[in-house]
Amino acid sequence: MSNFHPEIELITEYAAGSLPLAQAACVSIHVTHCRRCQRIAGQLTELGASLFAALEPVPVGDNQLNAVLARLDDERPLEYANKKDSASSTPAILQRLMRGDFSDLKWSNISSTLRISYLKTGDPSHEFALYHIRAGGRIPQHTHRGTEMTLILEGGFSDANGSYHKGDFLVRRPGMCTHPPRCNPRTVSAWPYSMRRSGSPTGSSAG
Amino acid sequence: MLTVTNTLDDEDKPLIDADGKRIDEWSECLTLIAQQQDRAAFTRLLRHFAPLMKDVALSGSTLSANHAHELVQEVMLKVWQKASGFDAEKAAASTWIYTIARNCRTDLYRRLQKFDTPLSAEDVSDTPDSDDAFVVLHQKRSRDRIRSLIKELPNDQAQILAKVYMEGKTHSEVSGELDLPLGTVKSRVRLALQKLQLQLER
Ligand SMILES: [Zn+2]
Repeated sequence: MSNFHPEIELITEYAAGSLPLAQAACVSIHVTHCRRCQRIAGQLTELGASLFAALEPVPVGDNQLNAVLARLDDERPLEYANKKDSASSTPAILQRLMRGDFSDLKWSNISSTLRISYLKTGDPSHEFALYHIRAGGRIPQHTHRGTEMTLILEGGFSDANGSYHKGDFLVRRPGMCTHPPRCNPRTVSAWPYSMRRSGSPTGSSAG
Repeated sequence: MLTVTNTLDDEDKPLIDADGKRIDEWSECLTLIAQQQDRAAFTRLLRHFAPLMKDVALSGSTLSANHAHELVQEVMLKVWQKASGFDAEKAAASTWIYTIARNCRTDLYRRLQKFDTPLSAEDVSDTPDSDDAFVVLHQKRSRDRIRSLIKELPNDQAQILAKVYMEGKTHSEVSGELDLPLGTVKSRVRLALQKLQLQLER
């Protein structure tokens, strides 16, 4: 059960489908595993449905309706993605982005205790990365130049503002000086942040 | 050319079946489509929802007429193809259809911006049909409240919600477009959520 959740504005944008892709992915993993946020997101999705139902209908021509009816026998896609998690403890979104296992990821060492692996979401304005910190590792002082979301996949860490555990969701805005490892100018959404209590930098896993 | 008129009134009347289950016309349609590939049921649904979808496709967006057209078609086709996944116990039909509309809109925008991504909007968005009975119950309650209160929202709040939800804009995009401070946009959203009596605390 996490103690730090996305703020209501973010969950609203998430439910409205207006969040940039990388941010939506990050919020989605938290919400999927957080009952509190699921309940809130569910209500905010209902709000969208109510706004949708209350729209002013715009006349649609017969030819357009017929065009849809004519396509009903089209072959349908083999399977629609199922975002509900399988037996694996790795969030489905990460599995899709990693195209493999944590052990197959390419990591770059930032320091002896910190390494990072970028995942490609296709979002042109946000980076999405896994961070791995070895137990006892420190993060260099830094400031935030863009909004950065962090979700803790495993383990935990602490900074001047508190201590954070698995499932916690954090947002740091520009200028705030806090934990996450490294921020380059393009890092608007740096991302999951995984830390193991064991010292081994290999075999990191999320859950 | 045929003009399709709104039959919204039908949707607001919940019907109760022999088992006391709450059903509505659109849940019935979806169920018929799922079980029997019922084209007549789909046609009814199409005539109701395509005009709403067209509103979404045209509102505040930069979509060309062709793309707007494509979006309406795609949403309706997906409703047909995915109907077997609809569960009337877990979601209202209109909510289920709304999420398909929302996701298709997002995917189309991303396609037009040439995103190269392994994720579809559906992969990273809220699902309308939680497996959690507690979540489903809350959703049902809030649905009834929201639908009865939504017409009472002041214009300035309704306008911002429409931009966030129907045009898919973030709060800061809305702030830029309306030339309002971000704080004002956020507080109007908060006020609207209060007015609609959403239960947002634990
Ligand atoms: Zn949460």
